[in-house]
Amino acid sequence: MRVGSAHRAHRGHALLGIAAVTGALLVAGCGSSGNGSDASSAAPSTTASSGGQPVELHFASWVPNIRNAVDLFNRAHSDVHVTLDDMTAGPDGGYAKLLAAVRAGNAPDVAQVGYDEMPAFLVAGALQDVTQYAQDSESKFVPWQWKQGVFGGKVYGIPQASGPMAFYYRKDLFDRWGLTAPRTWADFAADAAKIRARGSSIVTFPPTQAPMFLGLAQQAGQQWFTPRDDAWDVTVNNSDTMRMANYWQGLVSRRLVQTEPDMSTGWFKDLQTGSIVGWIGASWGDALLRQGAPRTAGKWRVADLPQWANDGRTVSASWAGGSASAILRGTDHPEQATEFAVWLNSNLDSVNSLLTDGYGWPAIADPSHVRSLQDDPTVFKFYGGQNIWDTFARADAGVDVDWAWPPTTDELYATVTDQLKKAVTGGSIPDAVNTIQQQSVSQLKAKGLSVAGG
Amino acid sequence: MSAAVVDQTAEPAEAPRLRRRRRVSPALWFVAPFGIAFALFFLVPIGYAVYQSLFKTTSSGLGLTAPTRSFVGLDNYGDALSSSDFRSSIGRVLVFGVIQVPIMIFAATVLALLLESGRTYFTRFFRVSYFLPYGVPGVIASLLWGFLYVPATSPIVDVLGHVGVHADFLSSSSILGSIVNIVTWEFAGYNMLILIAALQGIPGDLYEAARVDGAGPWRIAWHIKLPLLRPAIILSTVFTIIGTLQLFAEPLVLKPLTTAINSNYTPNLSAYNQAFSNDNYSLAAAQAVIVALIAFVLSFGFLRIVNRKGRRAW
Repeated sequence: MRVGSAHRAHRGHALLGIAAVTGALLVAGCGSSGNGSDASSAAPSTTASSGGQPVELHFASWVPNIRNAVDLFNRAHSDVHVTLDDMTAGPDGGYAKLLAAVRAGNAPDVAQVGYDEMPAFLVAGALQDVTQYAQDSESKFVPWQWKQGVFGGKVYGIPQASGPMAFYYRKDLFDRWGLTAPRTWADFAADAAKIRARGSSIVTFPPTQAPMFLGLAQQAGQQWFTPRDDAWDVTVNNSDTMRMANYWQGLVSRRLVQTEPDMSTGWFKDLQTGSIVGWIGASWGDALLRQGAPRTAGKWRVADLPQWANDGRTVSASWAGGSASAILRGTDHPEQATEFAVWLNSNLDSVNSLLTDGYGWPAIADPSHVRSLQDDPTVFKFYGGQNIWDTFARADAGVDVDWAWPPTTDELYATVTDQLKKAVTGGSIPDAVNTIQQQSVSQLKAKGLSVAGG
Repeated sequence: MSAAVVDQTAEPAEAPRLRRRRRVSPALWFVAPFGIAFALFFLVPIGYAVYQSLFKTTSSGLGLTAPTRSFVGLDNYGDALSSSDFRSSIGRVLVFGVIQVPIMIFAATVLALLLESGRTYFTRFFRVSYFLPYGVPGVIASLLWGFLYVPATSPIVDVLGHVGVHADFLSSSSILGSIVNIVTWEFAGYNMLILIAALQGIPGDLYEAARVDGAGPWRIAWHIKLPLLRPAIILSTVFTIIGTLQLFAEPLVLKPLTTAINSNYTPNLSAYNQAFSNDNYSLAAAQAVIVALIAFVLSFGFLRIVNRKGRRAW
């Protein structure tokens, strides 16, 4: 799911995008030719013995290197053959394409769909009910992640990964300045002031990064959207979110944080030079830092998100929820599609392959047997030998599992980004939250959905 | 264009049947490739957009059941026009056009006159150089300029900083100018080429006659070249007006780099946002039709103003 969210990141780093696109094209080029030869050499030997033609499935995903996991599946199965369709990252047009394909009746059988996007797909009538094939697999997955593919008691998708959030920081600079990782948000503000006095900034508060803002809101407490008695209860400007908004407005007003977009060229440069010494990011972000700020190798550490209450608990959030393998309406093989989705996301070899390729925090109930979670030299070395997965395991356990996504997530993200941009250029973040509340209500109503109390 | 074709064929209505058939059918053959492509890629999509704009897809309750589609007449147009975001996006491109069109036409005309003055060196080289940006796709051009605008990577900001000028090309007060710069860079050469083609069509004896009458280069430019360039300049202006209303790629690419561009910055961006992020193709279609109507009114309005009989604008 790394890219289940690095996709959002794409919005934030158009410039970096050039490099990414070129890289992706190269990878795609190599990958597809490799796959072609795999298919021709491996498929006949496995299918010839079973006699009948294998069921052909199409799986659309933009997660880099997920082909490795798909190849693993194809090698292990003679009755089902999965073809991977590379697609544009969901929010960059991929979701629009999938929805159009479902309407046109030529959609892939299984597709990468963010947890945050599942309700929108459901409302668009694009998901296939696979309860009868999937219900036995529930115990394989973390309960809250399993629920992301379940609506009204019916299963529509299999969870893949989440993006638990934590605080990445430059240990070397924190040490030099006599600081420790902030335990609470109050500590964070105090550290921010001290770091500012040294000419750097603790983090950027990126107005372009809606999923991060929603993560901060999720961590603060009350939810934004609650399905209640056949109507959506919209409580964006609840007291917890307002507390969070006021807190960040204070940091922005005192210029203790920057407001440049994260995951942008300028941001990576600031990370390299030490102008910015921290990042509030998701588990898959480790790869972003390793690739974007290679000169700072060994100097980073990962700590829990700063807490609102200093009661020893770790409360976290999941960046844009996470990512599922959704079974799309129109598939001729819902049973095999479900089988593939379950295998892809729960088979230990597959999960290990996905994790090594940096896709996010696994959704399986018991990740203790995932090899790369125990030891991952490339990753840990960048973090000075710290086992950062311990931190993210704690973060994932601290995600508010009741957070629900509305069927208007893309509009919500656009609204959040627009309003936060306004907020950091002369407006205010609490005002932005109030506007997001109003616009969310009207966006739901515009779709004909019921809104509680309205 | 198709209207003109129809007129010609319909004209000899009283002509003998046989003769008429002979005249019409080869003409039809010649028109067919264009006509079919025009219908397929122009009329049908426009018709479909108009058709789509008359429907609305709605769900009910929490949205657990499949949505329904219903005919709503002009509701989507009402929704589009009553949205303050959409209205201000139209206002924004109009302001943009008021700045962009004169700059573009002035730049293209000056470049064309200079290169065709017969007094420049390396004329071909410069002609190609000025035209080259047009070959760069708008997205790439915006990315390139984006690098030059973002403080962390921009040599321009860096150099200006050293001489004490704090430049911010991405602030809300300067972003429109930054986009004007990109668009001018992209299209001035193209418009220049249209004007150069027109200049080359001016017969040389006109210049000779003017010179015999004692006109210098300035007078020739002002009294001979510019008046004869008029149709080409008008054409370039219409293209530029339509182009400014359709402003899309530049703000889309710059959007992640700046807090000054929101998702409804231009009407096309707004329609894109409705279609591909809000999954509301009907509203997007209505917005697109509105933009097309405005472009139509402005272009033809401009043509009417400059072509008034007797009282031409210049």
